[in-house]
Amino acid sequence: MLRTLAIAGREIKALFYAPLGYIVLTIYLLFVGLLFSLQILRPGSLADPGPMIAMNHLIMVFLVPFITMALFSEEYRSGRIEVLRTSPLTEVELIFGKFLGALGFYTVLVLSSVVFVLILLAFGRPDFPPIFTGYVGLVLMGMLMVSVGLFFSALSQHQVVAAMSSCITLLVLDWLATVLSFLLRPYVKPSWHFLQGVLNVLGYIAIEPHTTGFARGVVDTRDVVYFLTGSFLFLAMTYVVMESRRWR
Amino acid sequence: MQKPAEIVVDQITKDYGRFRAVDHISFEVSKGSVVGFLGPNGAGKTTTIRMLTCYMPPTSGRASVAGYDVFSQSLQVRENIGYLPESTPLYHEMRVGEYLDYRGKLRGMPRAQRRQRIGEVAERCWLGDRLRWLVGNLSKGYRQRLGIADALLHNPPVLVLDEPTVGLDPSQIREARRLIAELAGQHTVLLSTHILSEVELVCQRVIIIGRGRILAQGTPDELKQQGAQRGGGSRLLVEVRGPADQIKSAIAALPGVQDAKILGGGPVASFEITGKVEAALREQIAATVVGRGWALREMRTAGMSLEEFFVQITDPGRSGERSDGGREAA
Repeated sequence: MLRTLAIAGREIKALFYAPLGYIVLTIYLLFVGLLFSLQILRPGSLADPGPMIAMNHLIMVFLVPFITMALFSEEYRSGRIEVLRTSPLTEVELIFGKFLGALGFYTVLVLSSVVFVLILLAFGRPDFPPIFTGYVGLVLMGMLMVSVGLFFSALSQHQVVAAMSSCITLLVLDWLATVLSFLLRPYVKPSWHFLQGVLNVLGYIAIEPHTTGFARGVVDTRDVVYFLTGSFLFLAMTYVVMESRRWR
Repeated sequence: MQKPAEIVVDQITKDYGRFRAVDHISFEVSKGSVVGFLGPNGAGKTTTIRMLTCYMPPTSGRASVAGYDVFSQSLQVRENIGYLPESTPLYHEMRVGEYLDYRGKLRGMPRAQRRQRIGEVAERCWLGDRLRWLVGNLSKGYRQRLGIADALLHNPPVLVLDEPTVGLDPSQIREARRLIAELAGQHTVLLSTHILSEVELVCQRVIIIGRGRILAQGTPDELKQQGAQRGGGSRLLVEVRGPADQIKSAIAALPGVQDAKILGGGPVASFEITGKVEAALREQIAATVVGRGWALREMRTAGMSLEEFFVQITDPGRSGERSDGGREAA
């Protein structure tokens, strides 16, 4: 546990030592700030940061790959993987430490948008429970996104390749399934059970539909299970990749 | 009675695809000794070391470090090993003290112990004044020291150092050697290098590998003797004032002389004589030279250096040509 936390702590610090962390933070705050000022901070609108929280996935798809790209790629490229592998660490401790580190930075990122909730407090009385569940949902979504990024970082020793492939995968996960099911749904007759089933599955593996509930204050176990199993799947795949690299 | 073996390697083999990097190597390193691990580039040194440090599993064979099997008890092996990889990879954005603290945490050392050991290893590796520096700003020599400090941090019984003196300046190399010599006794050290003078100075035993196999092992003196036997005797270096060609043919005609080579001409000629260089032959040569009226200036026997043995054994094709230039003078 101490070892996992040591790795996680180092990862968070590494992101804050380098300019990259601040660039990500700036882009995120710009995006959320725009959402906030255009959508919420308008005369007559509800004092509800829900839409701002719900739309986080749009930007996170692009930002999380930057947080995770270096996790393993950089260790491979620099040869530090040799130092890590020859330390008394299990593979699980290593992967989980990296995962927690990136998730920690992600959480800091997400929590930085609490500023806007505080601004909202000056003008109205927002309903707190949905805000709380909204943030819980964001962290759950972050677990999935970070584990996807971690997986691709373990696959390649080039950060750019890792970032691109995780970004594309996240985009597909976030959008394509939803878009496809929306585009195709009208043309698929209810009697075509197989295609209906495919669309249902596509709809289920998409990230976006699973985020909306949290922002409205609904914690649906299906969504929680989706994010947890998704992260577990990608962490397990990372483990397999790391183990197989050892044997090469 | 030999001390118990700290590192035992038994018929270890590693294949990279079709390429066999290490081919059934076996050796032992006894507790508290410093053993030099020599070989030309690509001989399989680093591969062997990586298998010992549990970076990669062997294709076949067994090895144990500090009594633990590298395959089935990998974590215990890693706890008992301090390893300096060849390229000394470090985190450049961290500070020296912070890096050592992080490495201590990875090894599960409690805070008080970390603080105490960081102080000790920093002093031992002459890093005391650099603890607050960014690793990225350190010179190559200081990074190397940091790597050694990291390997020593948890006071492991076994140290595996892969080319620890690469990139150090001459005085740092001397300091590093002194450090390694100090470590002997308390630690078992496996030192990979291709600097032969280093091996002669610090290692009690030498293992030479080439193309994935062990070519020779023993103490440096044993190896030199072996080399002298394989090389067909040692050499005699003679310096005579007189006509070089005549002297050469006169010496070559003596019984027991295999070959006489002119190393340098001019009024004073020097020769390298190979053959059975025994006392009788030396006397005969002296008598011949003096009897013909030439002036004998110098005569000495040159044994085989570890370097010559190394070249002979790792590259049989070139063993005939001896590095004549300045070797004898050294």
